[in-house]
Amino acid sequence: MEQELLSLQAEARKNLDQIADQGQLEDFRIRYLGRKGQFSVIMRELGAVSPEERPRLGQLANTIKAEIEKVFDEKKAVLGSSSQSGTKGTALIDLSLPARYPERGRLHPVTQIMNEVCSIFEALGFSVAEGPDVEHDHYNFEALNIPAHHPARDMHDTFYVSDSILLRTHTSPMQARIMETQQPPLRVIAPGKVYRCDSDITHTPMFHQVEGFLVDTKVSFADLKGILTVFTQKMFDKDLDLRFRPSFFPFTEPSAEVDIACVICGGSGCRVCKQTGWLEILGAGMIDPEVFKMVGYDPEIYSGFAFGLGIERIAMLKYGINDIRLYYENDLRFLSQF
Amino acid sequence: MKFTIDWLNEYVDTDGVTPAELADHLTMLGLEVDAVTEIFQDLAPIKTALVVSVERHPDADSLSLCQVAVGPETLQIVCGAPNVRAGLVAAIALPGTTLPGGIKIKKSKVRGIESFGMLCSERELGLSTGHSGIMELPADIPHGLSFIEALGLNDTLVEVDLTPNRPDCASVIGIAREVAGVIDRPLTLPVESVEVQPSTAAFSVDIESSELCPRYGARLITGVTIAPSPWWLRKRLLSIGLRPINNVVDVTNLVMMEYGQPLHAFDFDKLVDKKIFVRHPRKGELEFTTLDGVVRKLDPEMLMICDGEQPVAVAGIMGGINSEVSDSTTTILLESACFDAISIRKTARKLNLSSEASYRFERGVDPGGCLLAMERAVMLLCDVAGGTAAPGGVDKYYGQKPFNTLTLRIKRTSDLLGIPLDYEIVEKALTSIGFRCKQKDADSLWVGAPSFRVDIEREVDLVEEVARLIGYNTIPTTLPTVQLRYPERDTSRTIRAEMGTLLSGIGYFEAINYSFSAEKHLQWLGLAEDDPRCRFVRLINPLNEEQSVMRTMLLPGLLENVQRNINFQKGAIKLFEIGKVFTPTGDNEQPLEKTRCAGVLSGNRFGESSHYHFKEQDVDILDAKGAVECLLHELRFLGVGVLAPLSFALPDEGRMESFTDPLQFLVIKDGELEVGYLARIIPGVLRKFGIKQDVFFFDLDLDALCQLRFVAKNFTSLPVFPAVNRDIAMLVPEHVAAGALVDAVLQTREPLIEQCEIFDVYQGSKIQQGYKSVALSVTYRSAQKTLTEKNVEKVHVKIVNMLGSKFEGTLREG
Repeated sequence: MEQELLSLQAEARKNLDQIADQGQLEDFRIRYLGRKGQFSVIMRELGAVSPEERPRLGQLANTIKAEIEKVFDEKKAVLGSSSQSGTKGTALIDLSLPARYPERGRLHPVTQIMNEVCSIFEALGFSVAEGPDVEHDHYNFEALNIPAHHPARDMHDTFYVSDSILLRTHTSPMQARIMETQQPPLRVIAPGKVYRCDSDITHTPMFHQVEGFLVDTKVSFADLKGILTVFTQKMFDKDLDLRFRPSFFPFTEPSAEVDIACVICGGSGCRVCKQTGWLEILGAGMIDPEVFKMVGYDPEIYSGFAFGLGIERIAMLKYGINDIRLYYENDLRFLSQF
Repeated sequence: MKFTIDWLNEYVDTDGVTPAELADHLTMLGLEVDAVTEIFQDLAPIKTALVVSVERHPDADSLSLCQVAVGPETLQIVCGAPNVRAGLVAAIALPGTTLPGGIKIKKSKVRGIESFGMLCSERELGLSTGHSGIMELPADIPHGLSFIEALGLNDTLVEVDLTPNRPDCASVIGIAREVAGVIDRPLTLPVESVEVQPSTAAFSVDIESSELCPRYGARLITGVTIAPSPWWLRKRLLSIGLRPINNVVDVTNLVMMEYGQPLHAFDFDKLVDKKIFVRHPRKGELEFTTLDGVVRKLDPEMLMICDGEQPVAVAGIMGGINSEVSDSTTTILLESACFDAISIRKTARKLNLSSEASYRFERGVDPGGCLLAMERAVMLLCDVAGGTAAPGGVDKYYGQKPFNTLTLRIKRTSDLLGIPLDYEIVEKALTSIGFRCKQKDADSLWVGAPSFRVDIEREVDLVEEVARLIGYNTIPTTLPTVQLRYPERDTSRTIRAEMGTLLSGIGYFEAINYSFSAEKHLQWLGLAEDDPRCRFVRLINPLNEEQSVMRTMLLPGLLENVQRNINFQKGAIKLFEIGKVFTPTGDNEQPLEKTRCAGVLSGNRFGESSHYHFKEQDVDILDAKGAVECLLHELRFLGVGVLAPLSFALPDEGRMESFTDPLQFLVIKDGELEVGYLARIIPGVLRKFGIKQDVFFFDLDLDALCQLRFVAKNFTSLPVFPAVNRDIAMLVPEHVAAGALVDAVLQTREPLIEQCEIFDVYQGSKIQQGYKSVALSVTYRSAQKTLTEKNVEKVHVKIVNMLGSKFEGTLREG
């Protein structure tokens, strides 16, 4: 038994010396050190040795095995450092384990879209202005050519705070506020929250808009088409078909609504676009001369365009969100998707 | 506005233009088509049937046993209708058919006799409320045909979403005019022109407030017989969803839809003194019952149509029950008038009553068209109600405007639109829908707008017409030529953007809540009634109690979000919101709008981070402190090694919130000014919001932060010599704040001390009760040389002694 151990020690040392690659090293491990290897076999045979001999031989076997393992490890380290290729059976880290990093949060999808919209216009040289949410009737309506009892007020279900103070129903009051204090040329966008007393599957009482306007000499409807074409193509990342069709806003003339080819079906007609192939994304027009007159601009000298778009609507189209109420429930299962 | 293609074809031949093409034309003209639908499709399975024979049901007197021919088949039908008789052509629903009301027809046994279908009444077909018997079809209709085809019900309904500026298109003729222009075909009108001869004294009309009633036309029709309308007329109304009532009312409705001119028929015999008086209610005329049976409260500003004694109609909105046309009516006074848009609108608002008539008057009805519509109605009434028009009538026309001729400059139009135009193009566009044009000079033309275009008042209105008619899509797409200018960015916006990026970067999700909230939420927070945050900007017309005031704090909304997320099994919550809060300043004044940044955190610190690596651990107040410190640090409101203006501090005496834990409350101060705070919310408050787990909260005044100076980025040379770290473990009384030790070390201003950090705080069995061990790691470095143990030792001992004496501390051994 003792002899067997010593010769195994000598044989193992010799073999180990000759090993030149990881493959051989693995073969060695299986042959000598593995569960069915030669040391295990000898260990099992210890059971048959006389009880008087057992402690001494057991200790010897352990010492020899430990020595061989030590040399094996050294060899393994040497081979490991000289060869970069990992080999089957080496103690590798399990790369399927989860990556380690602390969770990050996200900006609200409305903020993300808002930032995207603003940065497109900022890149075109528009500056950003923000105004009050609680607004004077004057700026929300009168200065935009919507006098009291104008039927266009039906298009705005307004929350009132008092007779003359209300929650702005659109971001357009910023047109009047800016033009009142600044002289052309102007290139401004006004993002913000707006309010309408309307709540159902397609309306929330608060939502977000971006108003934009450009006033200068010689600004034309063709320019409006140009700016909005750039915007929609950047916003939706492709050469989308765009169509301008006549509409009505009291503070622009000519007025237009702008449709993009349905981003869902590509224009062939689906449920989202009500089979028309088009999706309305914003309202726009040439600023009405009455609006200019109210802020003291001469409409014979200056012309300009204005546009307004709904952020939630764009987010819905871009992300396929189908229920507008989700925006304000702040459910993490929703917020973490964007 | 709804119309059908068949109806439209009465005025313009659209043969060869599909409904889809037509819809596209209209949409591109600014008459946005909302829907195009085949109508009466729910009646598609109904067939025509001929009743061959009728016998009495052997077991029921009121039932008939009929043999009914439907094409090649003859079916046995049990029918309870009194008017069933041999030779009658009727509508039959065969087994398997579902009627518009949802009834499914099955083969059945009625009193022991099999019945193979049902002969239908108009009500069962959804065509009227008449249920006196089965619907009788014209005798010449063959049996076995599709009901909708046999009756010519196959039609396409088009719904147009009209903009408020186009009341002229709230009429089938108005739509037809646009269509005729765009497809270049002639427009045919039932009545082109008419004049009314002043009548003899059969009745009189007086108008008290002519500014509210620019025109009032009236005619008398005698000898009418009230009856159901002929089928063609009922079909027209049914096809656009209007309910036929009787021949007289149906005619007025049909002509209103056709011309856009609301009409009203009075039962002439019910008008006291045979008089019409257009006036405001008199004293004592407080109530009025409209046709719909509702008693309405009147006010002195409303305009009423009255007879010699009392109001008989709310002008332009709805008639009264007291002058309503009934089955016994024989003489009709037909009104075709025009009322002031604002007056009608105000009245309709006050009465909360809107009708097809008020819809049109509010947007503007052409006074010039009153008589055409009246004449058309008179012709139809004579035709379908057997009446005779009394010669002459009344036409009070106060509001006749001088014909408005505008000058349109071609160059101006070209410049505004960005497309080259010439006289021919402009003239062709405008005349296609009834404008009259005449060249004025080389660059401009005179344009006369038709009177029904009440929206055309200025040159720019014509520019829009030209753009619309040549088509927006023919206008080129260019980019404006502008002067280059740098768009300035404001600090608040920049800071908000950075805050969002930072907070989301450290695990917070952005929430957006409504700017309005419920008053009760602030009560739940336990705020005192005189707390400034309990002074609200209140909505006059909130949607509900939950959204009745403008928010004064961001916390309640965020707590609602926490509760919602816990309900949906998201127990690890980190949310922030950057938004406005509102403080009233005075009646009829805009409130103060302040922007705040608030956050809530609750549950597992690591959220959705891999649970394999990050063991579950609940957040505590130091996580809230961490978020705020990180934010302020990155925004450079807190600086490295500099005595920055901002600091965390324990609240002053008396500075407490009703909803926070007094022992877990820190304020963020700029000198003496508080710019925010963070705290643990007390469980009692959380329970009111339905939350049963710990929630921490921070709230920063963004406007105040925007006023602060940033800590400038300033380069410090990288150290050349190595640092020496020495640890100190001090035993200090447990009330001593660990941070105070750090502050004390740094405040010594020893030049060798580079940094001092807490790395352990221990309290427990191994040390004396009432004490705790605070372990500090102090970094020493010199800019001139490599420090030796001896260099450091001198300072270190000084520090240890200082801490010992200042905090009654002792150096902890081992």
